[in-house]
Amino acid sequence: MTLASLTKPWAPMSYGFLDASAKRELRRKMIKAVCVPGCQMPYASREVPMARGWGTGGLQVSLTLIHPQMRVKVIDQGADDSVNAASIRRFLARVSGAPATLDTLEADLIQSRHRIPEEILREDQVLVLQVPNPEPLRSVQPNMSIARQMHGDADYGRMWLQLYEQIVRSGRVMQGASYPSMVNGRHVMTPSPIPRWDVPKLHMAQHLTILSAGREKRIFAVPPYTRVEPLVFDDVPYRVEEHGGLTCYRSGAKGFFMNEIPQGDGSSAYEVSDSEYGVKAIRTRDGEAIETGETWYKNGEMPQ
Amino acid sequence: MLSPPLPDAAETRANATFDAILWALSRPGLPRALPEAGEGVLIEALLDRECQVYAGDPLLIPLIGQTGARLVDIARADHVFLGRLTDLSLLGHCAVGSDLYPDDGATVVLRASLGSGDSLRLTGPGVNGAVEVQIGGLPGGFWHRRAELLRYPMGFDLLVLDGDRIIGLPRSTSIEVL
Repeated sequence: MTLASLTKPWAPMSYGFLDASAKRELRRKMIKAVCVPGCQMPYASREVPMARGWGTGGLQVSLTLIHPQMRVKVIDQGADDSVNAASIRRFLARVSGAPATLDTLEADLIQSRHRIPEEILREDQVLVLQVPNPEPLRSVQPNMSIARQMHGDADYGRMWLQLYEQIVRSGRVMQGASYPSMVNGRHVMTPSPIPRWDVPKLHMAQHLTILSAGREKRIFAVPPYTRVEPLVFDDVPYRVEEHGGLTCYRSGAKGFFMNEIPQGDGSSAYEVSDSEYGVKAIRTRDGEAIETGETWYKNGEMPQ
Repeated sequence: MLSPPLPDAAETRANATFDAILWALSRPGLPRALPEAGEGVLIEALLDRECQVYAGDPLLIPLIGQTGARLVDIARADHVFLGRLTDLSLLGHCAVGSDLYPDDGATVVLRASLGSGDSLRLTGPGVNGAVEVQIGGLPGGFWHRRAELLRYPMGFDLLVLDGDRIIGLPRSTSIEVL
């Protein structure tokens, strides 16, 4: 054994920013997360040059998976061009040399804040969701040690009680985003603050989803072809946002998740939230030959 | 602006190895190709001085030693390398974690031959309907013993190696011997 065999040649920076030991730790935890779908696995969550709570969890997963041939797409609330998405995309390109793309169909890795693209993801794609609060039980049990015990016991009665109280108080389930969902019939997870519209996309999906909370140091995953069932009552069906009938005022796309834009006269205009899908719709309308993938929702409805 | 760093050979190998492991475990029963045959690439991609390892195959001990991982007895190991398994009782000693911390369950790597031997039907997360695989070269009653030892979410996760091919069998997969 020589000194040279114990050390590595000097380099100004580790490939993909994270050092090798951080990557190995994340790899070990990702393996466990995939093996127990929906169960929160603690991990170290290293420092990255971005404030905790701005996607550091998702970023660490992306930095571990990335290699120079991997096409990366980063979205923030459906948009490719928001500050958070643009900054993360530029950072990933800078530390890895991986090509960036805006097209969902071209991407190998999609890091997303709070949306799942409208086009169906394939088996070879990985979706990384940024998670601010990984604990679905926090609103009913602030003590995380007790919450862990409740997960261990599959003691989720209070989750239904919370939904019941919302129905009694407001006449309907008020949970807008982070809708608690049962994964593989065992662990309740928060799907990160994606709208209710996006939760059915995770159910028996073809792609692997990794959810990572950097500030809270928890990682969990939904493998392909895994049951993800929103918590509901037998007589109160799960309802997504009523966006099925809305039309995007810019692209004319109809039946997708929309951003509401208040107008001066008190009315609202709507534009499609998945910005690249909107761009594709506009370019198709203008006669360009653009490949648009199959969408999860068809005519504003998710086929069962 | 700085030019982006280039991955060295070790980083490329570890990245490709982990890609294969992650996919193998996300799609149980479907073989993936490792960049090189054998446990060496797995050891390089996963282990460091934070790990406690059991090596059933003495030839792996120098490789594991280089990573700084500690060699311990099988019950305390988070990574178990069984090599070609002959003694089924070893399986019963693998850590299965707890209901509170299922991640304490071991990652178990063993060698077997894919495409011959017991026919298995896999169902569970990651499997589209059901998938059938043949895995041979394991002691008799292996799959029955595995089913006895797992109590989901407690359990261990299997990585089955045949040369440079790898199959993942996470604890969430139910295995029926045909």
